[in-house]
Amino acid sequence: MLRAAREEQQVQATKRSWNIVVFSIGGMKLAARIEDVGEVLPWAATIPIPSRTPFVQAMLKRDNCVMPVYDLAARLRRVVQGDPLLCLVARHVDGPMAICIDADVPAIARADASSIRQSFERDIESLGSVTIDGNDVTIVALQRLGSAIQDTLTRYEL
Amino acid sequence: MLVGTASFLVVRLGLSYLALPATGVRGILTQEAIDHEQAVTEAGIVYQPVDLAERLSVAADLSDIDIKTVLYSNGRSHGAVRVEQVVGLTDIGRRDCLPLPPQFQRDERCWFGGMMLYQDQLVLILNPSWVLGELADAPSVLIGKAKQTVEATPAAIGGSC
Repeated sequence: MLRAAREEQQVQATKRSWNIVVFSIGGMKLAARIEDVGEVLPWAATIPIPSRTPFVQAMLKRDNCVMPVYDLAARLRRVVQGDPLLCLVARHVDGPMAICIDADVPAIARADASSIRQSFERDIESLGSVTIDGNDVTIVALQRLGSAIQDTLTRYEL
Repeated sequence: MLVGTASFLVVRLGLSYLALPATGVRGILTQEAIDHEQAVTEAGIVYQPVDLAERLSVAADLSDIDIKTVLYSNGRSHGAVRVEQVVGLTDIGRRDCLPLPPQFQRDERCWFGGMMLYQDQLVLILNPSWVLGELADAPSVLIGKAKQTVEATPAAIGGSC
């Protein structure tokens, strides 16, 4: 019974806080829920793909696996920094997706759920924002990255 | 051709490796054999010029002497497709044909029926009906239906993959 109570406490504590991965693109700090990040790897050369989907115009091939690349830096109008650049593999609802990020190795942090504010960042799908080291950091909704752009385009076309 | 396999002609255009189902290939002409601005008549069939580089917005150098023209037909429509290089002919198992990831959501779903790996290159499988001008790009119809389209596409390319 004591153990059950302790486990319940842990579950509640987990619900009250989020484990997040803090990374940067062009020096801009961003975060993502740890469960939305598959892995972080060295960046590799990409294969250009003829495409009209905004920011999805390349693939990354690793051994016999290929995954689409989402150019988050271009969307944020930033240029990735450092060498070697890193690849953050996002667990997107449609399957894994590679994002090129700065060379700074991502850090893991814990954000108290109550500290997560609604984000007014309209340029990107987000789960809110949190203050880290005095900076306002957007928590990117990696699972649905690109959906807002597609919705906008659909509305525009209709 | 083995049961459960599909044959493709792999070509290169700029940095893109593309594949056409081999059943539609009627011939390959060298640069000096034709005037690329004109339709090509071969065995009584008129093949209209297809500027794939322009339609795919691919930067390609088609001024080189080594470029080739692939005469392609699906029986209804006929096209003369200019490419920078004919890479080779390959048979691949249907399970090795991969769908285009659903994150690609617009015109490209109409352009490509899938993809495959060939000689360590990622090759995009062209949709012959689109190449031959039988399908208009229909992005607004395809948006949000990417997953269904992945499954529908093999039929659209003649069940070749």
